[in-house]
Amino acid sequence: MALAGTAAHAPEHVVHDKAKMKLVGLWLFFFSESVLFGLLLSARFYLERINREEVDQLLGLGITCVLLLSSVTAFTAETAIEHDRRKLAGWMLVVTILLGTGFACGVGFEWGTAHFSKEQAFGSIFFTMTGIHAAHVISGIGLLVLTWFQLARGRFSGKDHWPVSGTVMYWHFVDVVWVFFYPALYLVK
Amino acid sequence: MYALKSVAGALGAGLIGFYLGIGGLGAVRALAGYDAWDTEMSITFGYVFGVIGWVMGAGMWGAWGREWFGLRTYDRKAPGWQRYFVFNTDHKVIGIQYLVTFIVVFLLGGLMAMLMRAELTHSGHQLFSNAQYNSIMGLHGIMMIAVAVAALVGGIGNYAVPLLIGAEDMAFPRLNALTYWLIPPVALTLLCTPLLGGIETGWTAYPPLSVLTNNAQILFDVAIITFGLTSILGGLNFVVTIIFMRAPGMTWGKLPIFVWAMFATAWIALLYTQGFAVSLLMVLLDRVAGMSWFDAANGGDPLLDQHVFWFYSHPAVYVMVLPGFGIALEMISHFSRKPLFAYRYAVGALLGILGLSGVVWAHHMFTSGMPNYLHGPFLVATELISIPTGLIFLCALGTIWMGRLWLTTPMLFALAVIFNFACGGVTGIFLADVPTDIHLQDSYFVVAHFHYTIMGGEIFALFGAIYYYFPKMTGRQYNERLGKIHFWWMFIGFNVTFFIMHWPGIQGMNRRIADFMSDLNTANLIVSLAGFFLGASFLVFVFNMVWSWIFGPAAERNPWRARTLDWQTDSPPPLENFPVPPVVRGHPYDYGVPGSVHALFPGRGAEEPPRPPSTFPGAAPAPAGGGGGGGGGG
Amino acid sequence: MTDAFRNALRIGGLVAVVLAFVTVVEYVFAVNVDSDQVRFVGLALAAIAKSWLIVYFFMHVYRVWRAEAH
Ligand SMILES: [Cu+2]
Repeated sequence: MALAGTAAHAPEHVVHDKAKMKLVGLWLFFFSESVLFGLLLSARFYLERINREEVDQLLGLGITCVLLLSSVTAFTAETAIEHDRRKLAGWMLVVTILLGTGFACGVGFEWGTAHFSKEQAFGSIFFTMTGIHAAHVISGIGLLVLTWFQLARGRFSGKDHWPVSGTVMYWHFVDVVWVFFYPALYLVK
Repeated sequence: MYALKSVAGALGAGLIGFYLGIGGLGAVRALAGYDAWDTEMSITFGYVFGVIGWVMGAGMWGAWGREWFGLRTYDRKAPGWQRYFVFNTDHKVIGIQYLVTFIVVFLLGGLMAMLMRAELTHSGHQLFSNAQYNSIMGLHGIMMIAVAVAALVGGIGNYAVPLLIGAEDMAFPRLNALTYWLIPPVALTLLCTPLLGGIETGWTAYPPLSVLTNNAQILFDVAIITFGLTSILGGLNFVVTIIFMRAPGMTWGKLPIFVWAMFATAWIALLYTQGFAVSLLMVLLDRVAGMSWFDAANGGDPLLDQHVFWFYSHPAVYVMVLPGFGIALEMISHFSRKPLFAYRYAVGALLGILGLSGVVWAHHMFTSGMPNYLHGPFLVATELISIPTGLIFLCALGTIWMGRLWLTTPMLFALAVIFNFACGGVTGIFLADVPTDIHLQDSYFVVAHFHYTIMGGEIFALFGAIYYYFPKMTGRQYNERLGKIHFWWMFIGFNVTFFIMHWPGIQGMNRRIADFMSDLNTANLIVSLAGFFLGASFLVFVFNMVWSWIFGPAAERNPWRARTLDWQTDSPPPLENFPVPPVVRGHPYDYGVPGSVHALFPGRGAEEPPRPPSTFPGAAPAPAGGGGGGGGGG
Repeated sequence: MTDAFRNALRIGGLVAVVLAFVTVVEYVFAVNVDSDQVRFVGLALAAIAKSWLIVYFFMHVYRVWRAEAH
């Protein structure tokens, strides 16, 4: 009890590192989502081993490159806003949105021309995995559009750009998922 | 009337969203040349948009959604009781919202149990058809699972964790409010299942039945996927809160044991809940989109569902009991007036359970036809978990040993947790061992076992925690005499019901079936009567809570003379929890250690270090019962 | 254009080139290798390498354990 005086110079207000908390929260969210995608991936090998039906290889490689390229433009957008280059960031977000839309359309085309039915096990696997991934792509496009909209209204700067960083990280995460899904669905046999 | 605005807004926007979802899907389907209405697909789309409308209408739009469009956000600052009916971001309000909601769900689920026991008083059919019985059993199962997963974590966890670590709120307050506001649509949707024929699959929803059964299954699927989402987001919030929001000086080695338990629990919720969601998503796709995840004729495999489902649902057991262990150890230390015995081992045990929880799931599948070579590894891994669990027991017993027990109602519940879970643990050995499990699988022995662990372990801890925090939450003291009556009534009712239930199980009585062999009539009649006795005990609880909340005597700041931070602030605490932020110095459980101080409040003076133990028993305002004496539940 | 900005972009471009290269090699490897095991292991290694590049250079995972977020 005599210790009471020793703490007199303790801070009156505890300041929490809010930026770090958001960052870690987002990574935990990715961690949790990885389990979702990991379970789907495991289910794919559980049911069908490495077997697969005929898929359009050229289209697969094409949309993979498009998504990869969109990650690069998203990275450029984030780097640009970190260095206060709002105009470049805006354009890069637009390119990312267009590339993302291109990817989604590619998946849609693949769905329309697939040679296999969703009523067969491989079809169930293929449509579910690409479908859930595409749902993430589309929600990512939505986030990018909202972010671009606010950027265009002059909201972000080099010091205050968490929504841009968070959205771009989400976009990269969706790309990472495809890095695993693409070989598992197109290349493994 | 903010409360009315909020609830009416939630209902209105929810309904609008529901019909927009159905209408939008109908329009797209009609344009593509299909029927505009497809029962399950329409319900799914309507539900998704309905839930979004509900949370937005409840106040998320103003507090959060506007920000996404670069608009200025606002809060509904509702006064008094109305704050429980708005999108409130205060963790104390959210904790109470969770608790009250889930007590209601618990009572409804209990009612279902009473109906089941009424049917099972005698062999043959008494009250219900098979389909009705299945529906009641499924609802009882899933509602109680929901209570077990969310009442202690979402209710007590939300309320107590920021207080225990000396924080002003959770890390993401708006996310926290969202996790609560997703619960009412889940509960409503589950309660709607009887309208579409009732859940026929129980809460596990195994295919192929769950793919072939009536339309109620779709409501179950979407509701539980949403529930999983709240569990994941809640877990995420707890992990970040516990890492980043601790008061200065609150090192990992000084963290109250309940916070450690919540930390382990939150990781499990974050990492494994996806399994339940994925298994139900596959069922949903098989039903709605005609896929073949589980159709063996087209290359699917029903066993896949069991693997994915139990990958979550075994760890879910720890989402239920770890916070129960945590709060029980917490109360045992405070009411034994002794330092928590082997604190470090208790922490290690909690983390050990976290580590092992993901590698034991197939012990639920020994009779499912999975490959035999999996039996051995899963048997051994399951038995290994008894080591950390045993450590927690030793910590509890070592703390009680030679302590000056203050047998308040919460302490009685905490001791009962230890007793009940020991019984559940012993019967668990027979279910983890393949040779005995093959005989006991799917019998009432299993039912008795998991009620001993989940109800005996966690629900007892939940009620103990409610009594323990009642003065802090409401600023009033509950009636101690009624609390003790409730405890003994519930404890005796519970043990008679479920101890006797092992017997018909060993005799081969199947669970989940409305009928049984007539030579088990006597045993079942006794179980049913004891069950009704157990059910009636909750009337005492409800009366005590409602009466004391309105008319109870004012509670003081620290009626338990506990050292932890939650008791060093007012009852109920102010909005910012601690007007003067605490600075942590010593261990939270150093009862009787001379000169030890857990926390200081710079500027407020050192008024709070607990008085010497010799003054404690009589200091409680309510009829506190005698100190000392024999071990209650042990 | 500041030096820091140019450097950051240069790293990003370099990583992009590596990713594209690995993707093409992955494809050529997968369609030309006959052994199922070799193909599976090769693809898994490529996927892990690519995901690590994205997680480290694009998502800046090290910021999680760096003292300041920015
Ligand atoms: Cu289990």
